Amino acid sequence: MKMLTIVALISTLATSAFAHSSVDTTTPENGATVDEVPSEISFKFTDDIRLTKVSMIHQEAHTVTLDLGGQTSFGRVFALPFHSMGEGTYRIEWRGLGADGHAMQGEFTFTVD
Amino acid sequence: MPDIWGIGAILSKLMLYVGIGGATGLLIIRVAFSDLVTPLGDKMRVQIALLAGLALAGSVLGYMLRGGALTGGADGMTDPEMLGLLWQTPVGDVLVYRVVGTVLIIAGVFMPLIGQWIALAGGMIALWSFAQIGHLPELEITGARLLLLLHLLGIAFWIGILGPLRALSRQPEYLSSAAMLGHRFGQAASVIVPALIVAGLLMAWMLLGDMRVLMTTGYGQTLLIKIALVGVVLTLATANKLRFVPAMQAGDDKAARHLARSIEIETAVILMVLVATATLTSVLTLPN
Repeated sequence: MKMLTIVALISTLATSAFAHSSVDTTTPENGATVDEVPSEISFKFTDDIRLTKVSMIHQEAHTVTLDLGGQTSFGRVFALPFHSMGEGTYRIEWRGLGADGHAMQGEFTFTVD
Repeated sequence: MPDIWGIGAILSKLMLYVGIGGATGLLIIRVAFSDLVTPLGDKMRVQIALLAGLALAGSVLGYMLRGGALTGGADGMTDPEMLGLLWQTPVGDVLVYRVVGTVLIIAGVFMPLIGQWIALAGGMIALWSFAQIGHLPELEITGARLLLLLHLLGIAFWIGILGPLRALSRQPEYLSSAAMLGHRFGQAASVIVPALIVAGLLMAWMLLGDMRVLMTTGYGQTLLIKIALVGVVLTLATANKLRFVPAMQAGDDKAARHLARSIEIETAVILMVLVATATLTSVLTLPN
């Protein structure tokens, strides 16, 4: 019980610092509103990473796992083909492995209006 | 709030800390105070093997959980591609250190003669794994890894004394042995504890750079919690050294019962320190 208490306490205090995320820029940018659904999305990281999973959530209702295709090596820039699901808000969740062995994750959103 | 993989990473790291720290600590105590802990020989051997087994399980579980974190699902824990990816990184190297180290502990502890030295070597290998990856080794500051290893050895020594000292204190027929063990540990601790504190502060300075982030970041706040808990442990240890152990040396068996109770509380607080440390090293990012 004491253990759970302290884990909960630490978790509460440290909310803002969790998840190793080092994404530098994305296209579309986080929070952007664009006219048309992009044909691809891209990530630029500050350090080498190997993407392991990228999911697209449309309107917080439909989730599609994006095909990582030939992304089989560590790198800093990645572009993935993107499938249109029409207008609305898209949330992109990504996970990856840093070259130093850290599991990394993050997300960004954009709106098609 | 960390996700389920983050919580799993904290728990598996805790298994490693308790397992490797406890097993190596008991091995050190068995060598350093062999004349006093002889009555606990068989029990300590089993405890060492169980703690090493816990560490081995924590190593494998932690590795699999990292695989799960890569996909965000349980499938990643057994996905050969994810586990193979991890194997190519320092995480794979560390798994080898930990498996080899814990297996040597388990094998060595049941061997006669040189077995204890094999087990001790295994403990050192397992401890050294913590100096291979993590925030401090990644700073690539000269001597940082060695400093971390010495810090871990000191902590293992401290954790290692808890069980044997409590066990002897609870048996009236071993009162004099318990008093002598407490006294000799206190003598060693008067050198080791200040060194541990200096090493801890030095590593905190290396990691944070600017002490103002102690208050403004999750990493800093968690470190402050850890330091406060260490303060509680130091207070208890001081009471043990200055009050209970001298009384036991004077033949007071009531003091021995108080010491055993104090050690139980100290163990619980040390577990909290280890949870805070596991959180710092598993899921929190450095402020800078």
